[in-house]
Parts: sequence; structure tokens; C-alpha cells
Amino acid sequence: MALFEKNDGVSPKQVLQTLKSIRDPDLQEDIVGLNFVKDLTVKGSRVAFTIELANPACPDKDRIKAEAERLVGSLEGVRSVSVAMSFKVTRRQGSQSRALIPGVSNTIAVASGKGGVGKSTVAANLAAALMDCGARLGLMDADVYGPSLPTLMGSSQTPQVVGNRIVPPVVHKVKMISMGYFLPKNEAVIWRGPMLHKMIHQFLGEVEWGDLDYLVIDLPPGTGDIQLSLCQTIPLTGAVIVSTPQDLALKVASKAIAMFRKLNTPILGVVENMSFYTCAHCGQRDDIFGHGGASQASREMGYPFLGEIPLSREIRLASDSGEPTVLGRSSCCDAFQAIASAVAAQVSIANHAAVQSPTIEV
Amino acid sequence: MVPVSIKLSAPGGVAIRWSDGHTSTYSYAYLRRRCPCAICRDTPPVVKTEPDPFPILGKGPIAATGATPIGHYAIQFHWNDGHADGIYSYSYLREICPSEECRSGETP
Repeated sequence: MALFEKNDGVSPKQVLQTLKSIRDPDLQEDIVGLNFVKDLTVKGSRVAFTIELANPACPDKDRIKAEAERLVGSLEGVRSVSVAMSFKVTRRQGSQSRALIPGVSNTIAVASGKGGVGKSTVAANLAAALMDCGARLGLMDADVYGPSLPTLMGSSQTPQVVGNRIVPPVVHKVKMISMGYFLPKNEAVIWRGPMLHKMIHQFLGEVEWGDLDYLVIDLPPGTGDIQLSLCQTIPLTGAVIVSTPQDLALKVASKAIAMFRKLNTPILGVVENMSFYTCAHCGQRDDIFGHGGASQASREMGYPFLGEIPLSREIRLASDSGEPTVLGRSSCCDAFQAIASAVAAQVSIANHAAVQSPTIEV
Repeated sequence: MVPVSIKLSAPGGVAIRWSDGHTSTYSYAYLRRRCPCAICRDTPPVVKTEPDPFPILGKGPIAATGATPIGHYAIQFHWNDGHADGIYSYSYLREICPSEECRSGETP
């Protein structure tokens, strides 16, 4: 009988028409037009579909799901709605990336002008937070002078070499490579430009990254050989600028921004680290380095402000013990998670809007 | 401003179509003489433009044999004289566009 059951309920077309009123919060377009609605099935009065967002860390995921259930559920002839949420990170690669890192969808550089503002802490937590949302992550420590990611991620094993390829150790489900893995504890890297260029090339092309949604690249401070080599070797998806709120750091951060602009590398936004301090004893807040400087500066320059992270003992303790803060239970988790969501949103926007790299005809 | 397409063997040399619709055409010798690498800036290269009377002995007039994109901002040309060090940023290429409208400074 079921075969001939009259489908006087709802048509898939009607469902899609209804879902058109839901907009993706990042891309500001409707989820049907963006082709985010997948696997739509209508069986009698039962409707099921999947919403596949481009941002794995979308903070509005639950709201979108509830909205879809409510809208479709209120259609005439619909008894039950089952909505599954998933994601598929978008990509836009240039020919250089296709040759060097074919499986890596997006490359995000974490940079600052000044040293000591927390680039590596932001990079480690950004990677961990996106991993925690289900994305496939890699973390590349391009800071050869002061490789701190092995400490921050709690990893010290030497990478295996299979054939001519380096197999990156996996820590907290993140594939990671760092010069720290290859150096004895009290040794230092004292290299000139050509060696640094080669290192960047090797870390990208000779490491078995496999398929990744995001490769987060932790840069050393400054606007030197490593930054230039990276921007020449692959067309980066974008750069995240980290700064503390005080003028001194912001002035140097604007140098890093100027560099990325000159190299046509999209700037995904600015993170304010050490944004404020809350006294553990009296609970009073103290803006040690000032507050809001980075958000004001990013607004003035026209870049998204990605969020602020407090100066906190919890972050320091977690970092020194090799547990990214965002994976723990500290009160700073939300701050890092929000920044990861914002970065993933900007990547999705950049991929949606990006101009194609030029075609070259010989 | 970024290039939409780059043709290495266009009539007249290298042709670049820009995102604003403008097309720049550079002769090979013009581009090769303006190579921005440190060595060529210091000592401008001697560029052969005339065909060789005995082509068997030489490589013939200068020509681009290939090109590699450099990140989001530049392109590296490979020349038939063996040189390939110059990284030509898009803004530099637009700046040296030999077209009349660009020379007279009327186009932005």
C-alpha cells in the first residue's frame, strides 16, 4: 500500500522555498541558494534533510537547526521534521598550493608585529578549537627561532620519516610540525634567509599533511624572511593579526598588516590578547595594557575584530602544561572558541568572495 | 588591482588583462630590461632584440618561456636567456604598463 500512498503532504520544492528565509550568518545569503541543504527526503508527512554549513564552528548552528525545524514543521501536511547539521569547509587553492599541499583546503597565518603578544597561544588554541568542532587540522610552527608550539601542545616526539616524507606527530588530534622537534634542547637555529626559505618549503611540501580543512601557521614576530617566503610560496587564505591593547604593540602590528596588504594576502582580522586582567583575590578588573585598542584599530583600518582574550593565570598554566586552554574547563574557553568561530567565518567569507588567481597561458 | 589573465605569447609579447578591464601589452625586451631582481637593478641586462644571423649559435631574440605565480601578489618570468630571478609584483607591472593611457597618467 505504501507504494501508492498518496503524497498529498508537502513537496520538496515547498520545503526548499520555506528554507530560503534562513540566511547563513557569515555569508549573508540564503541557505538554499548557497546549496547548504542536502539529502532532502519527503516521505508522506515526514521530512528529513541535512544543513551543511561552511563554518564548522558556527555559533548559530543550533538556532539555524531550530529555525529550520520550526519553519518546515509549520508547513501543512508535515508531521515530523528531522534536521541533521553538518559542515563542509570550502577551499580556493592557487596553482602553487595545489602542487605543494594538494590536500590542504585553507592556510591561515597567525602573525603580529611585536613579539610576546601571544601568537603561538592563539595559534594553538585556534587549531584546537576548530579540531574540537570536528574539522581536520594541521599546525605548522614557522617560528624557527623560538619554537613554542611543542610546549604549548605538549608534544616532544621526533617525527618519523617515511621515504622522503616527514610524518607529522598528532597531538590533540592536530597534525603538527615544528623546528622544536628537530633541535636538541639547548641548541638554537642561526640561519640566514635562503635556509629559512628552504625550511618553509620543506614544512609545507615535504610534510605528509594529508587532507586538512585548515593549516594554521604560527609565524615569528616581524616582517622578515619567513613571512615573505611564506607569502611567496603559497597564496595564503588569510592572516590573523594578534596584538595586545597598548599603543606600542598596535603600532608594530600595523607594520605586519601593511606587509600583508602589500603582498595582497587577505587579513582575516585582529585578535586582542591580554585584553584585561581580573584579580584572582578581589575580583577587580584591571586593564593592564589598556583595553579595546585592537578593536578600535581594526575598526579604523576596516578589518574584522575577531575577539579578545584576557590575561589569565589559567591560560598560562594550561599552556605550560601542554593542554590548549580551549580544550579545558577554564573561564577563558569561550573567548578562544568565539575567536575560532570568527576566524572560520572569515575564511568562509574569503573563499566565497575571493577573486580567482590569474590564468597563465604560455 | 590584480591580473585576470596573463598570456606569455600574445602578439607583441606578454599581454595582461587586469581586473579593471585594461589590457597591458609588454614587449619581451621591455619587460626583461625592467627585471626587478637585485642583480639586474644593479647592472641592467644586455638584452638581445635582433634575430641572430646564425641562429644555430645563439638563442635568438629575448622571449619569455614560462611564468610562475608568486603568492597573491606577483609573477616570476622565466626568460630564454636563462634568467628567472625577477619577481614582478602586480603593482609594479601595472606601474610600468607601456600603453599610452597609462603613460599619460590618465588612468588611475
